[in-house]
Amino acid sequence: MMGTDDRKAIVHIDNVGKSFGKTRAIDNLDMKIMAGEFVTFLGPSGCGKSTTLRILGGFERPDQGRVILDGVDVTNRPPNKRDVNMVFQDYALFPHMTVGQNIAFGLELKGKSRSETDQRVDALLEFLQLSGFRDRTPDQLSGGQRQRVALARALAPDPKLLLLDEPLGALDAKLRTQVQVELKSIQRRTGKTFFFVTHDQEEALTMSDRIVVMNAGRVEQDGTPEDLYYRPASRFVAEFIGETNLLEGTVRGTKDGTVVIDWNGRNVYGAAHDGDPRPGTAVAASIRPENVICLPEAPADDRALQGRIVSKLFKGNRTSVDIRIDEHDTKTITAYMDPAAADQFAGETVWVTWDKDRLAVLAN
Amino acid sequence: MTRSTRILMSVIYWAFVVYLFVPLILMVMMGFKDSAFIGFPIKAWTFEWYLGVFQDTKVINVFLYSMAIALSTTFLSLVIGTWIASFLGPYKFPGKLIVFALTCLPAVIPGIISAISLRIYARFLDIDPGMMAIILGHTVHNVPFVTLVVMARLATLPKSHIEAARDLGADSIVAFFRVTLPYLRPALIGAGIFCMLLSFDDFVRAFFLGSYQPTLPVLIFAKLRSGMSPEINAISTVVLVMTAILGIWAERSMRRMNKGTE
Repeated sequence: MMGTDDRKAIVHIDNVGKSFGKTRAIDNLDMKIMAGEFVTFLGPSGCGKSTTLRILGGFERPDQGRVILDGVDVTNRPPNKRDVNMVFQDYALFPHMTVGQNIAFGLELKGKSRSETDQRVDALLEFLQLSGFRDRTPDQLSGGQRQRVALARALAPDPKLLLLDEPLGALDAKLRTQVQVELKSIQRRTGKTFFFVTHDQEEALTMSDRIVVMNAGRVEQDGTPEDLYYRPASRFVAEFIGETNLLEGTVRGTKDGTVVIDWNGRNVYGAAHDGDPRPGTAVAASIRPENVICLPEAPADDRALQGRIVSKLFKGNRTSVDIRIDEHDTKTITAYMDPAAADQFAGETVWVTWDKDRLAVLAN
Repeated sequence: MTRSTRILMSVIYWAFVVYLFVPLILMVMMGFKDSAFIGFPIKAWTFEWYLGVFQDTKVINVFLYSMAIALSTTFLSLVIGTWIASFLGPYKFPGKLIVFALTCLPAVIPGIISAISLRIYARFLDIDPGMMAIILGHTVHNVPFVTLVVMARLATLPKSHIEAARDLGADSIVAFFRVTLPYLRPALIGAGIFCMLLSFDDFVRAFFLGSYQPTLPVLIFAKLRSGMSPEINAISTVVLVMTAILGIWAERSMRRMNKGTE
């Protein structure tokens, strides 16, 4: 078990680059992954996240740079010669072997004795609640069970790094939520370093200690789920993760960490997290719908914007309200409200405001 | 489909079935005829011809000889065919289509032409007519079938299975024997039985490449020349039953392969 020394870098991706033909799949990726961390690489398909995973697994060779695993350069080692195991997207369970044989496969090849292998397989089966399934074949299992067998098989050889290639993609929505919780708890209990790849932002937010958002082979942002959600570093991150309102305008000035933006002739107040932008520059700012506060009357300060409710959509746990600020602009601001609160707005006129720290001014 | 066309279709179908099976039924029946000549009417019945087949050491030896050739051929064809399929299947290289066409060619060359050319080639290589020459001739003929069947199965093997094996510590050879080969098993059984039937059944190549020791089809041919007798019917019926059983088993295992594993 690890996890006591969180500061130790288990993987160093040292300036790695990879192209397929003319496509630059990874552009100078340089980062460290700490021992015991749950890191998620998040991005749309073709962003380079899977290529990164395959380079770590040894299935692709980088064109440049090195992969250092626990202090050892493994860049040119084949998959069978590195302490890294993988949970495949389709699980890739061997159909002609039983669950027990599947899990034992890596242990046998490591030259473990039969009794040691047996014990380890039993322990893993119990750990992943698969105790009765040892002698079943993969086609006799449900999707969730297969996923756990794949996880057990990858954990069996005690790898230094576990790679997970969108392993929840094949599960239905309800099961997926449950498995997310399980995966996170398994990661915590084993103390293993998980390298998770997904295009599903909700999955990433739920499970990760750290999320790396990739786009077109480059890292857009590297931070905690909260960082990414409330302090997106770029327009891409703001739009890719969750729902958001993007306001485009010019910087009027900054004062005490508050950035004043001229948005269609109105002043809006936000915060920059990546250094203050210079006055006069064009910027975009992001505010999450749940952080937009709607008031039925004008508040005391002059920071609220007056608008008109153009639509109300009841979504069960919330009501989504679209507010038009400027009658000459079709663009609206979306706010999420408690359905009961939404009913209080009898008329159409509304005042919109927010905590200025929640409006993230994005670097362009 | 109207009622009349449906009736017409089934009549045609049953006519075809009758046409197909009457000769076989006649052959089986004549084996039971208590007379030295084939033909109607059958006045008396006997098991003698069938008993004779199992007592005739010459027939049994020829049968075993044919079996030995069929088994050796099958083994060689499976090894070579799987080997060709494993590098024709997953890899892309210039001239792949040409290699593929060359591999399939022996399957479509007329038997008599391939038999003659093999005979000349065997002499050129100093291989005496006989078992070795027949085995090599049959193998050349069978490899394309094995290659095609194995390639079809290989195409359905997810790449991730091999990668998972590599990931868990297998080198490419271990991955082949522990993951690829078991996955190919149904295809190998099917192709293997097909090879055995092709080899066992072959007359032309065995005739041209054989020595004085005949294979079963060659023996039947020789016996035919000395006159039709119910003995031939009895031998043929025994072979028919055995090959039919093998054939049905092969067909079933091929079908299982198609639904088979996920």
